[in-house]
Amino acid sequence: MSSIKQIPVITERKGNPLARVFDEFVRFCRSRSLFILHYCTGCGAIELPPAMTSRFDMERLGIQPMVSPRQADILLITGYVSIKTLKRVILTYEQMGSPKYVIGICSCTVNGGMYWQSYATAKKLDEYMPVDLYIAGCMPRPEAVLAGLQKLMDRIHSGEANSWEDYFRNYDYYLGNQQKLFGENWQTPTDIITEAKHYDLIGEGTLGKHTQLLEQHQKPLEALDMRLGHDLKEPTE
Amino acid sequence: MSQELTHWLDDLLEEIEGIKIRRKSSRRVRADVPADALPALLELLQGRAGYIHLSAISCVDWIEDDEFELVYHVWSYESHSLVSAHIRIAREPGVYLSVYDLYQPAGFFERDIHEMYGIHFEGSPNMEKFILTEWDGPPPMRKEFDSEAYVNEHLNWQEYNPPWLQELIAEGGGVIIPPEEQRFSRKKD
Ligand code: SF4
Repeated sequence: MSSIKQIPVITERKGNPLARVFDEFVRFCRSRSLFILHYCTGCGAIELPPAMTSRFDMERLGIQPMVSPRQADILLITGYVSIKTLKRVILTYEQMGSPKYVIGICSCTVNGGMYWQSYATAKKLDEYMPVDLYIAGCMPRPEAVLAGLQKLMDRIHSGEANSWEDYFRNYDYYLGNQQKLFGENWQTPTDIITEAKHYDLIGEGTLGKHTQLLEQHQKPLEALDMRLGHDLKEPTE
Repeated sequence: MSQELTHWLDDLLEEIEGIKIRRKSSRRVRADVPADALPALLELLQGRAGYIHLSAISCVDWIEDDEFELVYHVWSYESHSLVSAHIRIAREPGVYLSVYDLYQPAGFFERDIHEMYGIHFEGSPNMEKFILTEWDGPPPMRKEFDSEAYVNEHLNWQEYNPPWLQELIAEGGGVIIPPEEQRFSRKKD
C-alpha cells in the first residue's frame, strides 16, 4: 500500500543527499576543536590561567589557546576595552578567518561595568563587533567561563552561533559606530566588503552611508615593507 | 638611631625659608614649601641627606582654590624614610620648573602630569603625549573636564538586569545601588 512516492523527501536542499549529514558532522567537529585568542584587555584575564591549566582544564573540552588571530576561532575579550584598545581589538577581529566567535567576559564588556563613567573605555562591545556570548561578572569565576564556553559549543553545534555573518551583513552599522568613536578617517587594513562578497554575505546593511564615507577617505592598502630590524634606517633623500 | 637622624633632618630642613614640616610617622615627613623653594629643598635632600630616589610626583587639582598641588615623594635608602614635598602653583597658566636635572625619572612623571593636567614643565626633556596618544580632548584629569558628560555624549550604555538578578534582589540580595542612582546624570529627583 505504501508506494515509494509517499516517503517524504526533503526538497529544500538539492544536490548531495548527504549534505545535511555532512553539515551536522562539520558543526560537530567545529564545536569540538576551538582555538581561542584571548585578548587580555582587562582584569578579567586573571581567571583564564586557572581555566586553562590543570584545575579546570579547558582542553578537555577541546579548547586551546592560540597565538595568532588567523588561526583562532574564538576571540575572548576579557574585561574593559579602552578606546585605544578597541581599535586593536577590531583589527584583530577582522583578521580572524570565518567562522569566528566573540565572547565578552566581564561586566565591563556588557556596559562598561565599574568604568561606566570613564572617558577612556568603550561601553557596549556589541556596537563595534557582533558578540556571541557575554559572561557577566566582575570577574566571572573559571566555572562561569567554562559554562559559557560550553554554551557556545552547544550553539555552534546547533548552528545558532553565526553572529559573525552579521558583521558582513550589517557592516555599515558597525562601521558607523566605529567612525563615531574614532573619527571619519578610520580605516582598517582588512577589506570587509570584498570579504563579504567572497562569503556571499552581502546584505541590505552591508553598504550604506558609512561605507561611502570610508570609500572617500580610503587609502589603498599596501603590503608592508619587510626588512630586518637592524637595517631599518631613516629614508635618505 | 632614627631619633638622632630625624633631629638632624629637622635641622637641615630649617635651612629652607617658609618651610612647614609635619611629621606623619617615624618614617614619613611632610614638608610644605613655597613653589620657588622646592628645587633648593630637593637639592638639599638629595645632596646632603641621601634622598636619592624620586619615587613619584603626584598632582592634585584644587579647582576651588584655583591651584594645582604638586607632591614630590623622595625616598632615602639610608634612613629608610620618605619625604613628601608639597607645593602649590597657580592653575593659570599652570607652568612650573622641571626637576629633571636633579632627578632624571622626573621626566616621565612630568610628561604624565602634562598629559593628564596640562601643566607645562619648563626644562623637561619631553612634553609629548605619553599614554593618551590617541586622545585629542582636554587633559582629562582636570576637574573641569566632565567625564560623565563626555560619556553620555559619545557612548551608549545598556542595562544589565537579567531575571535571575531580579529574583536575587527581590530576596534582598544582589545589587544594592540601582543604576539610576549611580548614574548621577540619570538621577530622577
Ligand atoms: S568586570 Fe570587573 S574584573 Fe572584569 S574587567 Fe571590569 S572591573 Fe575588571
